[in-house]
Amino acid sequence: MHTSKIGTMEAIMILLTIVVTHTILSLPKNLLSITKSATIINIIYVSLLALLLVIFIVRLFKKFPGMDILDISEYLGGSLFKKLLGILFISYFLVSSSILLRNFCECLKIVYFPDTDLLFLILLFIIAICIANRLSFTATLKTNLLVIPIVLASVVFLFLANLRNFTLERMYPLLGEGFFNTFVTGIGNISAFGGIAYLYFLPPLLKKPEQYKKIAITSIIITGIYLLLTIATILFMFSFFITEDEIMPLFSAARYIEFGTFFQRLESIFLLIWISVFCCYLSVVMKFSVLILQKITLLKDTNILLPCIGLTMLAISLFPENYAISKFYETTIYRYLVWGFILFANIAILLFANFKKRKKVGETHVQMD
Amino acid sequence: MYKWIKNGFIVIVLLILVFSFTPSYTSLTIDNLAYVVAIGIDKGEKETYKITFQFTTGTSQQSSEQNPSFINSVEASSIDTAINLINAYISKELNLSHCKVIVFSEELAAEGLSNLIYTFINHVQLRPSTNIIISKTTSLSYIENTKPTLESLITKYYDVFPNSNKYTGYVSNVTIGDFFNALVCKTCEPSAILGGVSTGKVDATIQGGNDFYVRSMETNFVGEQGSENLGLAVFKGDKLVGELNAIETLCLSLVRNQVDSFLLSVVNPDNEEEKIDISINNQNFSSKVEIINGTPFITVTGKLKGFISSMAEQDNYADSTTLKRISESVNFHLENLLTQYLYKTSTVFHSDINGFGKYAASLFLTLPEFEDYNWLDNYQYATFQVKMEAEIQTGTMITTS
Repeated sequence: MHTSKIGTMEAIMILLTIVVTHTILSLPKNLLSITKSATIINIIYVSLLALLLVIFIVRLFKKFPGMDILDISEYLGGSLFKKLLGILFISYFLVSSSILLRNFCECLKIVYFPDTDLLFLILLFIIAICIANRLSFTATLKTNLLVIPIVLASVVFLFLANLRNFTLERMYPLLGEGFFNTFVTGIGNISAFGGIAYLYFLPPLLKKPEQYKKIAITSIIITGIYLLLTIATILFMFSFFITEDEIMPLFSAARYIEFGTFFQRLESIFLLIWISVFCCYLSVVMKFSVLILQKITLLKDTNILLPCIGLTMLAISLFPENYAISKFYETTIYRYLVWGFILFANIAILLFANFKKRKKVGETHVQMD
Repeated sequence: MYKWIKNGFIVIVLLILVFSFTPSYTSLTIDNLAYVVAIGIDKGEKETYKITFQFTTGTSQQSSEQNPSFINSVEASSIDTAINLINAYISKELNLSHCKVIVFSEELAAEGLSNLIYTFINHVQLRPSTNIIISKTTSLSYIENTKPTLESLITKYYDVFPNSNKYTGYVSNVTIGDFFNALVCKTCEPSAILGGVSTGKVDATIQGGNDFYVRSMETNFVGEQGSENLGLAVFKGDKLVGELNAIETLCLSLVRNQVDSFLLSVVNPDNEEEKIDISINNQNFSSKVEIINGTPFITVTGKLKGFISSMAEQDNYADSTTLKRISESVNFHLENLLTQYLYKTSTVFHSDINGFGKYAASLFLTLPEFEDYNWLDNYQYATFQVKMEAEIQTGTMITTS
């Protein structure tokens, strides 16, 4: 499969796709349930932390131009380590996206397709992404470039259209559950920036690798603003999302938009946009999974992998016995995976690789002397 | 050969998808659905609830007759059981996506509505904009007697009637979304529209000069419209604890900044036996909460502008001294009215339906501190101060007569 290079804007949109899909489902509710009324302050705080973290990651990548995390892991621990990390990444991408797909389809079933079997809803997405990935990656990138700005605009619209329903005082008490909860335990909310995982694979795919830092910083800033808008919409509108759990908080907010008696029930349009962005997200995940698989197996033609990955996604998404289990993954396990694997483990790999490089350079200098 | 396999695969996939989505499409077609426009819930005699559904037939008759609606009632242990029973009875599936109002009887509301509200919120078809009415009679009687006189469609009437809140303030446009929000939050209490059935007789208990002190079923209306919605039902938690009359509901609308314009009758400063009607069309209210010695101290400040509606012979409203005195009369009247109303909510109902708690929350740094203070219970000890600043201008067409 031919791999097209990714432009700067396209790369930013890829990173945004990840956070956008998570916010459609229970991400806003998860953030609110931890830091409660202090979530706005917390989002600003974790956005700054994510920004620092991303700058640090870019710095760590600087000594390995044109290499992704798999190449760096090979440099650090050899081929076996690279394969192991590759498998872990594929597992993470496939499990996360499949469970998210399952949860999204569960919500679609509740709202619009009460009598349709879940299998067919999931299958619809799987077939769509398999076809999209059989075309060139450019198709997904261009669609992403079109859909993500629409989603961002829709969230701004959601915020503005609901202004009359806002109670700004819901951001009080300012520190929510307390200082420790907001600024120490609340660091856990950095898992909202799960798109960082894809940052590890971007360097060799970029048309302009020198823009890597710009891509990373811009995507984090836009993600921060996007999260701030979604959280503000939910927090200012509802008092119950802090304690109660309702499916798709943004969908609930969209149900309140009314302009006179003529423009009502606009949530259907939102759902249509979200279905498109979900397809984009799954296509991106599939593409990156194929790329990793290609890298660790050295396969030349990866078209054959597409149905295999599609079927794996279908199987994983159908695996949880019920919505409660798949939701538990999304709300609890996913957070720890982002923390433990995406942030801690991979930054550790980058750090050790940097130490190794420095040591080697040092040894070379000593030998030359 | 490859092309044939590919095309065949595409056709099979399309067929699978088309047929797999058919059940949802079939169940959601207009022919299979019965659209509920109003739900009424009373206490049942044999079962827990007596639930009434009002349907619209959905025909597009262009006749001058009112679009027909019909009513079915059933006794059941829960809302969903009732829906199921009615599904079987009318041989169509009930759909709540066009439900405009939910009516609860006063008797049921006094026992608590929490479970019912949660059940309704759990229904994906029900819109958050559905109005909540507490009927002073049975909800069945309320729905039966609701016969719109100016609209041909019952749904249109249900859509329109809460809008009078914007220009009278006597009805509050309370939706199930608002009610649920207030039920769950720790800074306010819920309220609902107070409804009833017109008796068609003048209420003898209403004294002259108190024409704003009316509420549903205690009115002076004589007309053909069967039901009336005037005033507000006040809740503490999920239980009904009292009622507000029209003028008190206006006070609530003012404090919440929910009214665009309203009419006020104040004593004429030149002749205390006369009243002047003032039309207020520009007002802004703000509230401030302090906690002094552990007790809430609430200051409500209102700024309003209006003009004189009523006119009598020899009135001179072009004179600035007269206007100043009328403004002072408005200030005095509204300060008294609002103070009485606020103390009623705190000392009689112990219910912060005004939502002052949200301002109190800003005085605390953390949620545990705020929860320890227990605003909703401490509200009953609140002290109020109302400051009004009215600027009354001349009459509209005539300034001096």
